[in-house]
Amino acid sequence: MTNKHIIHKPISPEILEFANNHEGSREAALEVLKDIQAHHSALTTDSVTDAARALKLPPHQLYGMATFYSMLSFEERKKVLRVCDGPVCWLKRGSEQLSVDSGQLSVERTSCLGLCDRAPAILVDDEQAGPIEANEAGKVCEGWRGAPMDYSKARKGEVRVMTALIGKIDPDSIDDALANGVYGGLKSALQQEPIAVLSEVEASGLQGRGGAGFPVGRKGRFVANEKRTPRYIICNADESEPLIFKDRVLMDTNPHQLLEGMTIAGYACGASEAWIYIRGEYEYQARRLENAIEGAKSKNLLGENILGSGFSFDIHVHRGAGAYICGEETALIESLEGKRGEPRLRPPYPPTYGFRGQPTAVNNVESFCAVPHILKNGAEWWKSLSGYKTPGTKMYMVLGHVKKPGLFEAPFGLTLRQIVKEFGGGMLKGSKFKFALCGGAAGTITDESLLDVPIDFSSGQKGVSLGAGAFLICDQNVSPVAMLRELLHFFAVESCGKCTPCRVGTWRSLEILDRMTAGKGQKGDVEELKILADLMQVSSFCGLGQSVGIPMKSALAYFGAEFEKAES
Amino acid sequence: MAVNIKINGKAIQAEDGKTILQVAKEHNVRIPTLCYHKDLNPTGNCRMCVVDVNGWRISPAACVTPVWEGMEIETDSEKVMKDRKLTLELMLANHPQDCLTCDVAGECELQDLAYEYKAEVPAWGAKGTRYKVDSDPNPFIRVDMNKCILCRRCESACAEIQVRDVWGVAKRGFDEVMVAGAGVPMLEARCESCGQCVAYCPTGALSNKMSYGMARAHQVKKVTTTCSYCGVGCQFDLLVKDNKVIGVHSNSEAPVNGMALCVKGRYGYDFIHHPDRLVRPKVRRYLLEGGGKPVSSDQLSVISDRLSVSSDQLSVTSDQLSVTSGPWDWVEVEWEKALDIVADKFADTRSEFGADTTGFLASAKCLNEENYLINKLARQVMGTNNIDHCARL
Ligand SMILES: Cc1cc2nc3c(=O)[nH]c(=O)nc-3n(C[C@H](O)[C@H](O)[C@H](O)COP(=O)(O)O)c2cc1C
Ligand code: SF4
Ligand code: SF4
Ligand code: SF4
Ligand code: SF4
Ligand code: FES
Ligand code: FES
Repeated sequence: MTNKHIIHKPISPEILEFANNHEGSREAALEVLKDIQAHHSALTTDSVTDAARALKLPPHQLYGMATFYSMLSFEERKKVLRVCDGPVCWLKRGSEQLSVDSGQLSVERTSCLGLCDRAPAILVDDEQAGPIEANEAGKVCEGWRGAPMDYSKARKGEVRVMTALIGKIDPDSIDDALANGVYGGLKSALQQEPIAVLSEVEASGLQGRGGAGFPVGRKGRFVANEKRTPRYIICNADESEPLIFKDRVLMDTNPHQLLEGMTIAGYACGASEAWIYIRGEYEYQARRLENAIEGAKSKNLLGENILGSGFSFDIHVHRGAGAYICGEETALIESLEGKRGEPRLRPPYPPTYGFRGQPTAVNNVESFCAVPHILKNGAEWWKSLSGYKTPGTKMYMVLGHVKKPGLFEAPFGLTLRQIVKEFGGGMLKGSKFKFALCGGAAGTITDESLLDVPIDFSSGQKGVSLGAGAFLICDQNVSPVAMLRELLHFFAVESCGKCTPCRVGTWRSLEILDRMTAGKGQKGDVEELKILADLMQVSSFCGLGQSVGIPMKSALAYFGAEFEKAES
Repeated sequence: MAVNIKINGKAIQAEDGKTILQVAKEHNVRIPTLCYHKDLNPTGNCRMCVVDVNGWRISPAACVTPVWEGMEIETDSEKVMKDRKLTLELMLANHPQDCLTCDVAGECELQDLAYEYKAEVPAWGAKGTRYKVDSDPNPFIRVDMNKCILCRRCESACAEIQVRDVWGVAKRGFDEVMVAGAGVPMLEARCESCGQCVAYCPTGALSNKMSYGMARAHQVKKVTTTCSYCGVGCQFDLLVKDNKVIGVHSNSEAPVNGMALCVKGRYGYDFIHHPDRLVRPKVRRYLLEGGGKPVSSDQLSVISDRLSVSSDQLSVTSDQLSVTSGPWDWVEVEWEKALDIVADKFADTRSEFGADTTGFLASAKCLNEENYLINKLARQVMGTNNIDHCARL
């Protein structure tokens, strides 16, 4: 039966070429959409449909992606200026909006850019910039981008392992890296049996640095124990949670350390190939990694028969396109496979059913960065770095109303008081500690009563989350109601929409907080927020929805009076 | 392998790998569902089927969570009942309160659960103002995305059963919406109007256009029948109101096709009460009156075209062409008579011109057995191999 609605049109030759550049692989769907957008400044129904036909995928899948990732657009845009809407930038910028001459730039609001130490931050196409004040937009047009924070000097009290080479090597030079001992861990690993490498990492007690703290060695063993091959390694460099920027600094200052860690993981797990899934906003870092991969290949530290060991391994860089949920490991895998970044059903978990359905280890950037040091210096040494029950060092981010915001490396067991006073340089002049957002946007909000709780992966139960290690310190002038509103704005924008509690719950919570912060709160608002927080926490499909309730409930617990005041 | 679990306090040996929902069902414990359908791959996105598991921080969705050794499950604890009710209310907040005029009221899974859980429609929310009502020009399918609860059964049904991949999800978060293809009308997204998506939609978001407004669920009698279109023999229910067939519904018990039907079976029922429908045999008047075959008006116009003359220049009397009482009129007769005429004509043709000047074209509406009989008739009675079947066309 012919359908008069299908008018046969050949696929645009240009789009066919884009598809062919990626061997027509369905996994390249996101790249093809990006290529189209780059050449035509916007996507259209026709171009998306053609891309689907070229890749032999249903058009709804490509359209679903095109409308899912925030960096893809159906609107014609000039140079795009993305202004960060995240809580750190909000805190810095206040309600003042950056005023931009829209003749030259298309302005968009966006979720946290991962440049929280450069807040208020912006992204000009793919160039990272900040800090920028509201009245300084002019200089952006003139080419000003600012400079990344300099972390070459350690703060007092820091124990530097992963950050030891910051400022001491040229991150773009493989020779520099080699001269400074990078890849020493790999060399030592290649002299051992893979199983011994796994045992060493297991013995070190290294816990995943993405937030959940799952033992890295145990995950590796799950993958190694799977009989099926190929097995894959994935580095989670999506880093899209507000407050978190440590992975960017690690990749920026010493990309080889990450490649080394991933290669060791590949050797230990019997994997052949790896991907670094890096958020699209980190284009600069993605290029640096690609350059580092070339460098490593030139020295036979990647590729065929690495250093004559018989082990071959490849690493690819894959750019995201704007979606926090793609940091959730199964959503990340979906995205890597060329789909909408929606979390998968679990079980099965990635170690048994991961990328392309094969055994896959997904780990955070920082987790991989720790591995070479453990292989080089041994598990006992790693444990000895920490005087606390949780071994090793960790990257911390301290932000907000402290004198010296930024990043540092230290062992576990720090207290908020130490983080503010010793590492953050104390509160700003005139500022008094009122509360902290701990861990990241999905962490707890605590008042001063918890300043002395030692922090590690289990301290969340006591009210101070570690999460990915960030602490946003707020003074007496910050309203916890307004802060929570910023967080819910983030979650509502970033909810993937798959499940009812999170899709509607985040939206409704934001609606309530919007009116509370606008002085239009209503009786019953607090109660409703509590109910919604509870529901999302227990009924949501994935970790995003399940953790929205954490900041909500803790803020309500510690600052109930302020919320109640906002009811009327 | 078996695992030992407890459901509502009752110890159960369950098969490893089964979901909580499956095991509960086997033991007659009902857990409410919306996005789940036994024919489709479960997606676990509506969260209606959440249950309590002792020691768990979260409430897992029964439809997608496998049973594990030692699990103690509560399906109706106060907490999960409350959570289900709240989840329903989140759906209803953005759902039009249209049951009064909604096509599926009375057989709507959302309506049933809202009633069962005594859900209160929140005062806030979009209430059906977000999308155009009846937004798709498809002649058979009425689309009202305001009523959609994003369960994605339509997507699965179209992809897994019909394999057309028309429906998908677009946007994200609160803006998420089902779309056909790249946000185009269904027919442009390769839809073949089979109506599978409608059959699996638990709400009135997708409903049947032809029967819209014609009857409520409780006003129709369902008559299970076999489709008359082709030899597959799909079964379905005719919806009968006042002795008139007003629609077709899938019958999940149908042995060959389950819920699946094609566009003809599901939507091609308007012939039943059509005034042009032949209900008894008709023959041309001249066949009853004897005598030769007159020239028909059609033939005349063909001849006149070829000769490039106007048809009235040809000498034909007007009553030879008359539609109402001419020799070409259709006259209703008894089966007996009609079959006699056919048999005579066949016999005459065979004796005058030979058996191979006749031929038999069998119908896809007939069963295999009937087609076999036609083959017998052609080869053994008539003596010709000129036989074909419309399914080949
Ligand atoms: C909504 C959400 C976002 C996440 N984002 C990240 C992320 O940006 N980076 C990351 O490493 N892990 C992220 N995770 C955690 C990952 O799912 C996964 O646990 C982690 O990558 C495992 O690595 P690890 O064991 O080394 O920590 C996220 C989890 C959720 C639920
Ligand atoms: S909780 Fe649900 S809606 Fe939220 S991100 Fe996860 S799957 Fe998506
Ligand atoms: S879809 Fe169901 S709940 Fe919604 S209006 Fe129709 S009958 Fe009522
Ligand atoms: S009518 Fe059939 S082909 Fe069309 S969208 Fe629905 S299920 Fe798919
Ligand atoms: S249209 Fe119907 S079947 Fe499809 S997602 Fe919406 S409610 Fe579910
Ligand atoms: S860059 Fe703005 S909040 Fe992180
Ligand atoms: S029925 Fe289980 S989540 Fe929808």
